Amino acid sequence: MPPSRFPIPQGTLDMLILQILSLEPAHGYGIAQRLEQISRSVVQVNQGSLYPALHRLEQKGWLRAEWKQSETGREAKFYALTPAGLAQLAVERDSWAKLSGAVQLIFDEGTAQ
Amino acid sequence: MRKILNWFRRRDLEAGLDKELHYHFDRRVSDLTASGISEAEAKRQATLELGGLTQVREEVRDVWLNRWLRDLTYDLRFSARSFLRNPSFTATTVLSLALGIGATTAIYSLVDQVMLHALPVREPERLVLVDWKGEQVANGFGSYNLMSYPICGDLQAQTQVFDGVLCRAATTVNLTTGSEPKPAAAEIVSGSYFPMLGVGAAMGRVLGPEDDRTAEASPVVVISYDFWKTHLDGAADVLGRKVLVNQYPMSIVGVATPRFQGIDVGEVPALWIPASMSAQAIPGFKGLQDRRTRWMQVLGRLKTGMTLERARSGLEPWFQAMRLEDMGRPGFPRITAERRKQYLSSWLELTPAPQGHSSLRRRLAQPLWVLLAATGVLLGLACLNVAGLFLARGSARDREISTRLALGASRSRIGRQLLADSILLAVAGGLLGVLIAPSAMRTLIAFLPSQVANNALQSNVDSRLLLFAFLVSLTAGLLSGFAPALQAGRKSLMTSLRERGGSASGGVRMRKAIVTAQIAFSLILVIGAMLFMRTLTGLLEKGPGFDTTSMVSFQLDPRRNGYTPVQASRLIRRLHEEIRTAPGTQASAVARYALLTGGSWNDLMVIQADERISTDRDVNLNAITPGFFSTMGIRLIAGRDFSDRDVRPVEDFGFRTAIVSESFVKRYLGGRNPLGARVCECSGPDAKPDIEVIGVVADFSYRGIRENREQAFFPILEGNGSSGTFYVKVRGTPEQASASLRAIVRNADPALPISSFRTLNEQVSRSLNTERMLATLSGAFGTLALLLSLVGLYGVMSFVVTQRTREIGIRLALGATGGSAIWLVLRDALVMVGAGMAIALPCVAALGRLVESELFGVKATDPWTIAQSALLLAVAALGAAMLPAYRASVVNPVEALRLE
Repeated sequence: MPPSRFPIPQGTLDMLILQILSLEPAHGYGIAQRLEQISRSVVQVNQGSLYPALHRLEQKGWLRAEWKQSETGREAKFYALTPAGLAQLAVERDSWAKLSGAVQLIFDEGTAQ
Repeated sequence: MRKILNWFRRRDLEAGLDKELHYHFDRRVSDLTASGISEAEAKRQATLELGGLTQVREEVRDVWLNRWLRDLTYDLRFSARSFLRNPSFTATTVLSLALGIGATTAIYSLVDQVMLHALPVREPERLVLVDWKGEQVANGFGSYNLMSYPICGDLQAQTQVFDGVLCRAATTVNLTTGSEPKPAAAEIVSGSYFPMLGVGAAMGRVLGPEDDRTAEASPVVVISYDFWKTHLDGAADVLGRKVLVNQYPMSIVGVATPRFQGIDVGEVPALWIPASMSAQAIPGFKGLQDRRTRWMQVLGRLKTGMTLERARSGLEPWFQAMRLEDMGRPGFPRITAERRKQYLSSWLELTPAPQGHSSLRRRLAQPLWVLLAATGVLLGLACLNVAGLFLARGSARDREISTRLALGASRSRIGRQLLADSILLAVAGGLLGVLIAPSAMRTLIAFLPSQVANNALQSNVDSRLLLFAFLVSLTAGLLSGFAPALQAGRKSLMTSLRERGGSASGGVRMRKAIVTAQIAFSLILVIGAMLFMRTLTGLLEKGPGFDTTSMVSFQLDPRRNGYTPVQASRLIRRLHEEIRTAPGTQASAVARYALLTGGSWNDLMVIQADERISTDRDVNLNAITPGFFSTMGIRLIAGRDFSDRDVRPVEDFGFRTAIVSESFVKRYLGGRNPLGARVCECSGPDAKPDIEVIGVVADFSYRGIRENREQAFFPILEGNGSSGTFYVKVRGTPEQASASLRAIVRNADPALPISSFRTLNEQVSRSLNTERMLATLSGAFGTLALLLSLVGLYGVMSFVVTQRTREIGIRLALGATGGSAIWLVLRDALVMVGAGMAIALPCVAALGRLVESELFGVKATDPWTIAQSALLLAVAALGAAMLPAYRASVVNPVEALRLE
């Protein structure tokens, strides 16, 4: 029985992808593995929803895709962050911090009473 | 936008996605097998993790292209496939829509060009037409909205209101660019014309204020781009070239920009002549500086931000002062107190004129709106027809739709599918319509009258028109798809699945409603067609009041060829003698003004009989040779015709005798003997009637066939008969006569152009162009409408009969007669026809006012016409319903019951 994991909140998948790709370009499977590492411990990511998200981000111009030789020698589609994507990551990170801070504040207030 | 682009490269995208997903899958499988899991198990787990390749693909496709867009493309593809499978249905619907859309587009194109299209000049929206309404105490010649040339100058000084003011008059000149003079349309313009419009030259320069400063000092012309291209072969050395305008040498100083065709869409000038040269452009004209001669139209350019109301009140002080000042000027006639009151209560009117000024527009505006309304109704009918066909097909597709609903399709989804059907059809119909529109436009334009000047109307389909056609098609698609879509959304799934094929009750109610509306629409069109046809036949029956068989007419204007009035008069006399005595001539006469051209010479008159009578409206006047009435077959009622006794020598001016028409006697003399009464072309207290009335003739048409106004005639050969229209009754065919008549004129002066050479029958038919256009088109629309609604009625009745076969079979089995079965069906049809008529009649009453002024000899609500049309429709409708009804009566009860 795997440990019960809670599903990833709506909209955060995009942010996670941007974050992963900000370190280095990767193909879909690579991203999935990184997500797997996170999700094994904390959250549950459906691998199937990864590809629609990648295509959506590419469409928005935050990612750029390129066919390259992968580590196994087969051609794979590598995604990399565009400058616009980098800027978007900063925005999302910022708003995430604000949101979680605000939520924390509300919880703190609740316990203070 | 990018998403739409994606649709075009979806094949690449699909291939890429496929490769990407397979890479993921294979890597996962190989990783899992590496960790010791069997290959089959690894594949199973990888699939599970991904959540199914097909679903991932679907989700990614949604990213590429919005859901609804994808659905739409699927719908359209599905519709196209199902249409191709059903070509007769498709052809019927596309064709009826194409007819509706094509007709609407063609008529709209004319409406647009004649009435809505702004001139290709700088900021046309600031242009206004300045018009002096009411009594101007002035003589006018020309078409409408006339003012004198000096007023144009006055208005130019009103700089608080206008940024510029132009005046212009259209005329025809004899223009010699090569060896022979040819009639050409010209615009006489003030020096402000081109600068005010902001129109430049393609080559050389345009006319400017300096060309209009001193009378006869600036013999220059600007030619139109089209004339340059077509008549001068676009010669590069055209600047400075000498041309003869009415035999007066002038030089070309420029070619106007290509798109500029003057300010009148109905009369495209070949050249522009400065007003300073008006005496040359209009031979014998001396009224340029006369404030009592009105002959030009005035357009002003409002200052930015100036409203019409403020402009009008801004002009008021000048207008007041000008009228009073004019009364004190030398040359202002003495007038009666009443006329003076009218003069002082005249007013200035400003109307927006971004489309310029056009008498064509004035004449055609109403007929065109009427036709546009008619095509609108026709298009509505075509939509209803398509909707009816859809409903019919819809009931055949009931099971398919029900199955789809049962499989989980939403009702709105099905409705959208049906809308996609109709929109696809309508766009196909629209394309076809746009293809047929240009030829329809050419036919329409051929209906329009044209004299020397061409009109600027074109039969091209431009982007504006395409947009219009597209919007119309889309609307038509939505309208015709609306009812079926609604129907599909309403049906209960259970009942339609339970029903058997062939007994579906699909939308009979709605189909009946549609047929009722169709009948109402077609009755409106049929009544309209009847009214216009009765107008045309009424006018043809009435005729012009003179003989038209074997009659030919042509015009000569020697003054335009440099003749002095005396020389011209001598020439006309000589030609008249020669033609009269030529072997091919039965009879011949000359009139100064041509008949049935829409225009006339007219003026107020004073009559001195037992008492002194002033005419309360203009009398139509003409000057004629002796023998005019007998040549034309016009009856002399009393007195005598002109004879050589009445003819004065050349250079002897002043009329001595006159002949008046029957209606003139009736209106002003009330049946008293007019012979011996004295008249004059004059008005006011100073008028001295001194022309003796020597005869009375029967009424005949002068301006047009509709009109039989009062007329008076003077003898033409009084020394001032310098131009004229010859009326010749010929032996043999008009073609043979044409050659010998032309030879006679050519013999006298080879350079003299003959204009408007035609038979009188042709002239009559030309003068009825508008009426013929209305009658022909409304007749065609009416027939088409009738046909469409009959097809609709037949369709729905056949359907009803099929549906009620079992019921009818039972009735027959229980002893009902065949007649009662027929009645059962006909009753249904009668209800629809009756309801349609009940809807149509109030509409006809309301629409009647729109067409009233186009009619002749018949009222828009003429009960006889309406009854005839209704009867025609009812008979035709019953005929269409009879066939299904007959089928109902011969139903075999056994067969009908076995059907179940």
